[in-house]
Amino acid sequence: MKTNRITSLFLFVGLLIGAIVSLFPFYWAAIASTNESGKVFSKPPVLLPGGKFIENLSNLNDTIGIWRVMGNSLFVVIVYTALSLTICTMAGYAFAKFRFKGRNVLFAVFLLSMMVPYHALVIPLFKMMAAWGWLNTYQALIVPNLAYPFAIFLMRQNMLAVPDAMMEAGRIDGVSEAGLFTRIILPSVKPALAATAIFLFMFQWNSFLWPLIAAQTKEMYTLPVALSSLFGLSRIDYGQVMAGVTLATGPIILFFLLLQKHFISGMLGSSVKE
Amino acid sequence: MSKWMKLSTVMLGISLIATACGGANNNNQPAATPGTGDNNVEKVELTAWAWNVNVGALNEAMTMYQKDHPNVSIKVEDIGRLDVYDKLSTGLAAGGSGLPDIVLVEDDRIQGYLEAFPKGFQNLSDKGFDAKADQFPAFKKELTSKDGKFYAFPFDAGPTGMFYRKDIFEKAGVDATKIETWDDFLAAGQTIKSKTGAYALPADKFKDDANFRMMMNELGVYYFDKDGNIDFNNPKVVQAMATLKKFGDADLVKDVNGWDGIVSATVDGSVATIPFGAWYYGTIIDQAKDTKGKWGVFLLPAFEKGGNRAANLGGSSWMLNADSERVDAAYGFMEYFSTTSAVQAVAMEKFGLFPSLQSTYSEPAFQADNEFFGGQKIWKLFGDEMANIPTPYYTKDYAMAMDEAVKAQAHVFMDKDPAKALKEAAERLADRTKRAVNNG
Repeated sequence: MKTNRITSLFLFVGLLIGAIVSLFPFYWAAIASTNESGKVFSKPPVLLPGGKFIENLSNLNDTIGIWRVMGNSLFVVIVYTALSLTICTMAGYAFAKFRFKGRNVLFAVFLLSMMVPYHALVIPLFKMMAAWGWLNTYQALIVPNLAYPFAIFLMRQNMLAVPDAMMEAGRIDGVSEAGLFTRIILPSVKPALAATAIFLFMFQWNSFLWPLIAAQTKEMYTLPVALSSLFGLSRIDYGQVMAGVTLATGPIILFFLLLQKHFISGMLGSSVKE
Repeated sequence: MSKWMKLSTVMLGISLIATACGGANNNNQPAATPGTGDNNVEKVELTAWAWNVNVGALNEAMTMYQKDHPNVSIKVEDIGRLDVYDKLSTGLAAGGSGLPDIVLVEDDRIQGYLEAFPKGFQNLSDKGFDAKADQFPAFKKELTSKDGKFYAFPFDAGPTGMFYRKDIFEKAGVDATKIETWDDFLAAGQTIKSKTGAYALPADKFKDDANFRMMMNELGVYYFDKDGNIDFNNPKVVQAMATLKKFGDADLVKDVNGWDGIVSATVDGSVATIPFGAWYYGTIIDQAKDTKGKWGVFLLPAFEKGGNRAANLGGSSWMLNADSERVDAAYGFMEYFSTTSAVQAVAMEKFGLFPSLQSTYSEPAFQADNEFFGGQKIWKLFGDEMANIPTPYYTKDYAMAMDEAVKAQAHVFMDKDPAKALKEAAERLADRTKRAVNNG
């Protein structure tokens, strides 16, 4: 009993230190967003909130139009996550449970496409968007990455683990093909759905290069692109930058908290699979 | 039930996208629409890409331009400095789609773009810019032209200076006006370090070689010579690196991490001097507000008594998209922008962008005392410096050359012989660029 308590004490202290170390940068950014620019550099460091948050925020709104940009980012990420999750789940289902000619070849091609560096795709993709007149539109930000190979892979692997017998039982009981997917397969891969959703959300929320290239005017910028525009050569207002960064971390934390129950049970679930 | 939930979510998504498609397109329409109102001139909306304070400078200039050209307007996109290049390169590689009429490019990138995309940028000499060009210093003219033709409107420059903390110098009893050579500065730096603990210079030893580049430029040499051959073995290049090493050996160089590290050292006073382009003034007044009145500037020390003390670091120029339908209107505005000293004086006063248009230097702003710098006439100092700046030869392989020079610098700070480190760097660079190497 006693050793047990000591172990858990050490564990607790260790975790506490880890938590402080990983949370400090967020705290630092939040503090910096409430002080004026040069304060980030002062020694000793400023660790308490100042009174400039509103001022920084309104400056940020003047330079990049933070609310419009935030709206763009949220709209793009929500639509993208919903659509991409649907497509990738269905594709994963097909690869896992349907037998058709060239299935494995097709799947291999999908996996191989993960190896192509994104930078090599940008110019052809940009040309395609220009030819369709899609530059500077929401669909240019959303559509090109909808079928995301890693997400398809993740869903396929999880669906492989669902026994075929369950589907056969469903068929015998007269469940339709669509019903098999929505009522038998989907409920059993819930944790994987949550994990994939978080993954897609993060991918799109942090996505930088493509939105930078595809968005042509300020009105279409997403958060990372707009924040990056604050970096000129020598004159950087760190107060504005940190206010933007603080706002940008909010939604992703919120989304993770919403799905974390499923996500964590998914991690545990996969570790004890028999 | 959950089936319907899912289905409706998807449908909602699709319909949102469909509505969004309609709304966003109108940003993309060609800007020229037939003129309306009393003047019969066609209305033109120019587009431009620039970063940071340059956006404001362009917009202010347009307001002034509109007094005589009410039909012209401009929409400037504020894009991060490095992001401009990503977008520009992608657009040019994709055959010119989505590009603006006017784009800001740093001087060290101009030749690279001209080599990679010779058809992408408007030849300004064809539009008559040659007649205006003599108003700019020689080095700036060379940087903005290729084979005798201009491809960029010279804009701001970075005449270098030693930004120093007067209070730290005074505390150590060092008189900045007496510093004429790098050896003088070395001695001064040692006194300051022992009396106040402040370093003489900041440097990101393993990632950036700004000090080295300023010194080379001051000596009239650079990574490359005029013909594009690698010039690392030039005795003057070696001299620059060896001088830097002296400061390293005397423990007078504060090793900092990147740009933020330099700003940090500037704000907290752990370095007494920061050698940089005139644009660093803006950073100091933005970030170190509490140190008002404590600053001064002197020219880079010379390598020998009476030697050249002028150099340049940074600066940018405006290029025009050759495929634009509005290229004539863009040329008209940008010629006005570049060659009107009133416009350049505004860019200077409001945004701290140091002009290369020489007639600007007689504007009142350039003769004025600067309060932040304790009443020193710093802009006059920089203005006088401009005419004596030698041309640095960047070429399209500039980035690779810098990469190798930084490696050499890192080795030198770790006690390698400068000549040897530079010789090896020259060989590696020759390997990477297939350029010839000058020997000593």
